[in-house]
Amino acid sequence: MSNGNGTARHNDCRNFVPVDVAKGICRAKNKLIAIDTPTCENFTALPKCKNCANFTATENTLGICEADKNKTWVFEDLIAVTCDMYQAR
Amino acid sequence: MAGKVKNLADILKEKGIPISSQYGGQAPEELTDREVKKEPTPRAKELRDLYFNTYSSATVEFPYWYTRKWNELDCEPSIVRRAAAMKCAFSHLTPTIFPGELLVMGKAHYYRGSFPMPWLSEGFYMVKEDELYQAALKKGGASADEVSKFGSGGGNVTKSFGNVVSIAGKFGIRSEEVPALIKLARAWVGKSVDDLGHKYEQMVPEYETKEKIMRSVICMFESGYTLPQGREVINYYYPLQYGIDGLIAMAKERKAEVAGKADGDGLIGMDRLYYYDAVILGLEGIQIWILNYAKEARRLAGITEDATQKKEYEGIAECLEWIAHNQPRTFREALQLTYTIHIAVLNEDAISGMSPGRLGQVLYPWFEQDLAAGRITEEEALELLECHRVKFTCIDCFSSMGVVGGVLSGNTFNNLSMGGLTRDGKSAANDLEMLIMEAGMTCATPQPTLSVLYDEKLPEEFLLKAIECNKCGTGYPAWMNNQVGIQFLLQQYGPEGMTLEEARAITIGGCLETSPCSWHELTLNGKNYVIPGGAGQPTSVGVHFIANAKLLELVLFNGYDNRTKEQVFAPHNKKLDTYEELWGVYQDYYEQTVNCLAKCNNIQHDFWRKNNMSIINSILKPDCLTKGHHIGQLGYRYNGTFNVESCGTANMVNSLAALKKLVYDDKKYTLSEMQEAILANFGFKTADEVGSYSLLSQEKKEGGDKYDQIHSDCLLAPKYGNDDPYADAILKEYEDWFCAMCRNYESLYARPLYACQISVSTHGPQGAVTLATPDGRLAGTTYADGSMSAYPGTDRNGPYALFTSATVWDHTQSQNSQMNLKVHPSAIKGIEGSRKLLDLTRAYMRRGGFHIQYNIVDSKMLKDAQAHPENYRGLMVRVAGFTQYWVEIGKQIQDEVIARTEYETA
Repeated sequence: MSNGNGTARHNDCRNFVPVDVAKGICRAKNKLIAIDTPTCENFTALPKCKNCANFTATENTLGICEADKNKTWVFEDLIAVTCDMYQAR
Repeated sequence: MAGKVKNLADILKEKGIPISSQYGGQAPEELTDREVKKEPTPRAKELRDLYFNTYSSATVEFPYWYTRKWNELDCEPSIVRRAAAMKCAFSHLTPTIFPGELLVMGKAHYYRGSFPMPWLSEGFYMVKEDELYQAALKKGGASADEVSKFGSGGGNVTKSFGNVVSIAGKFGIRSEEVPALIKLARAWVGKSVDDLGHKYEQMVPEYETKEKIMRSVICMFESGYTLPQGREVINYYYPLQYGIDGLIAMAKERKAEVAGKADGDGLIGMDRLYYYDAVILGLEGIQIWILNYAKEARRLAGITEDATQKKEYEGIAECLEWIAHNQPRTFREALQLTYTIHIAVLNEDAISGMSPGRLGQVLYPWFEQDLAAGRITEEEALELLECHRVKFTCIDCFSSMGVVGGVLSGNTFNNLSMGGLTRDGKSAANDLEMLIMEAGMTCATPQPTLSVLYDEKLPEEFLLKAIECNKCGTGYPAWMNNQVGIQFLLQQYGPEGMTLEEARAITIGGCLETSPCSWHELTLNGKNYVIPGGAGQPTSVGVHFIANAKLLELVLFNGYDNRTKEQVFAPHNKKLDTYEELWGVYQDYYEQTVNCLAKCNNIQHDFWRKNNMSIINSILKPDCLTKGHHIGQLGYRYNGTFNVESCGTANMVNSLAALKKLVYDDKKYTLSEMQEAILANFGFKTADEVGSYSLLSQEKKEGGDKYDQIHSDCLLAPKYGNDDPYADAILKEYEDWFCAMCRNYESLYARPLYACQISVSTHGPQGAVTLATPDGRLAGTTYADGSMSAYPGTDRNGPYALFTSATVWDHTQSQNSQMNLKVHPSAIKGIEGSRKLLDLTRAYMRRGGFHIQYNIVDSKMLKDAQAHPENYRGLMVRVAGFTQYWVEIGKQIQDEVIARTEYETA
């Protein structure tokens, strides 16, 4: 699980409720937590394009969705919980 | 040693000039808090506290999926293409349910989330591309200090920090999403409403003048690509009556009936097929969106170990699974469905002022039956209504800084109206509305703001409840004159078939925009009800915010703007030897302004209706579903909603009065002397130099005494708001002309424009671009708010004199007028004080005033809040048609609210 730089953030985790662009609520610990602080042992990967087998990275956090018939562009942090084509790596 | 710098307040005191920030005595020395204070339920408190600690946050999830589908469907009819794009976007929104919520769903997955709509305008991101990229690349510095700034100074992300990039000084976006934002913006270059409108508006002969007017900020914004919908009343009737499945079935049936048939309409008869196809797609998108939330609720119920929370998640899922298809069964389901539909509409456009309308009357059938059946208690309903307030307060409108900051002060104007009359002319006030007011007190939040449609038939108990709510200092409910509004509606919409019965459905859209509505017969469990709902196009559209005082400045300087150094209008080259000549040139410049802006605005909106027409709203409002026509094809019942909006009326009237008195009648000064004094700012520094935007705080320049006498005379010249016929006659002449003049211009829907007279927040920025004015106001300071409010400190004869001045003209000729009064809490203490405030309100309504609203606050508290915002996160004030958190409004407006005359007696 990485953000492209090899580090997971809290907003990559399924237990995280995104309150805003800086923080959210960790359901596992039931407290507010800053996105860009180290994750913990409860980390569970949230479906995002960067975690999908159909994702091919290109540049600057962008990539291609190989499952789409038009091979359209996507971006690493696009949340994919509602995407029918998502396949965890 | 240099002497103390004198501000204008000191100078006026020395000279004995009676401009004061207090009327009717002195406020107590100690800070006085509001008399009425209530607390929310623990659940609502937690949710509101979370809001206080939340940044305005943007994501590109919705625009990504919208654009992806849009691009796939090249060559489809625009309405189908857009509906499919919306379905795709709704279907892919990530569902987030926050702990403790009873009502769920939102614009985006953040608590206070929103998103850009590059199909409306992408230019801002393209211009800022480098800047945004640089901010995004600077990531990695997420120090603890930076990320611990949660919520400080409100939720505005005024600058970038850590991995958060600020957009428009308001919204934060994650730096890792910035490349996607830029790529999306690029995809809409040359295709957005903004770009296409711009291409064709250049073909308007007066285009160059229009551009200079915009640069001069004589006009504040262009609605076609900034806020193409809004300041209107939503209509929840169809989903409440038929359920979403029922609406889909109706659309399928109609689709089959009209397919391939023109039915006598060779122009758009065939388009009905595409309209119904789009309706189905739009509704299916909403269903999937709701059901995605239901799935999330089930998932959470499955993983939570807390039995209470598990039950609540199951309750949420059950509610959503039902309303995704059917007519709601309970008050809670009905409330959830109306909220869901509301958000669905907001997600289809940049919209500010989508009012829930007379929600207490719309939801009354469920409330009444639930109470009778014992399915809900008043306490439970109150908790739900508090949750509803928090959800509405979380709504953000994503638009440019000039619009969101300069016009809206970050507000979204979801105005909930109460009272008024029923279809057959009885009081429409009900018990649910009493509870809505109670929730407005226990859980004070800016949204939904509340308005009373004041009618003599409303019961005293209801009116006193509204006064009690005013006394909380929430700034709501505002008071609108029901009968004046009805007369306006009949005048404007009579030609479109409005009857008196229908006019009684009047509701306020946005701040205080009288909006055309309709009645609908609803059946619940075999019992029939009649409920109101919106039936008209947006009124956020047209020629918006003409700076009346700035226009006068250009008359005085031969059409030249000394700030932008541009010749905005062709020089009139008149000597302005008489007041009549001055007034004639003013009218001419005003008409030139409206003429070119109306034409360019029509072109922008024409592209909006062709490529970006409303889908969801065009399902909800009558008579789209019946006719098979969307908003852009006059599918709505009432379409004459475009208007001309003004700002700075009191300063303009006062300035004309000063010129008439000092230059033309008494001949004490020549026009040249007046012009020289204005350019010299009467010997004062500029507001920016001083760092304050209120008149009394302005500081004299070194050696600026030369203009003391003329400035004193200008300040002492007759002023609006004092029952002085000299100034009031000028207001009347202006209003009679302005309200009639607006009707000479036509919207793209071939309907006449009309007058709209509210300032929202534009009196700040439009004051900032205006030189000193002949009324003694200094350069860059904020104008008087609203249109009927007196300029701060100049109403010296009490509220009843102000009312007499304000009602010298016929308010039924305008969509609205706006008066705000600041009253010290000690002036209205106890039940006696409540009755005094109600009497004051009645007095204004009975004289024919359209709107009045109160800030019940001690000015000392506002000054302390300005110095120590960290202590006042929850403090709310009424600005001009809306309530907002003090910490989220700009300094120009803060200074103006502080400066307003504080009435020490009511």
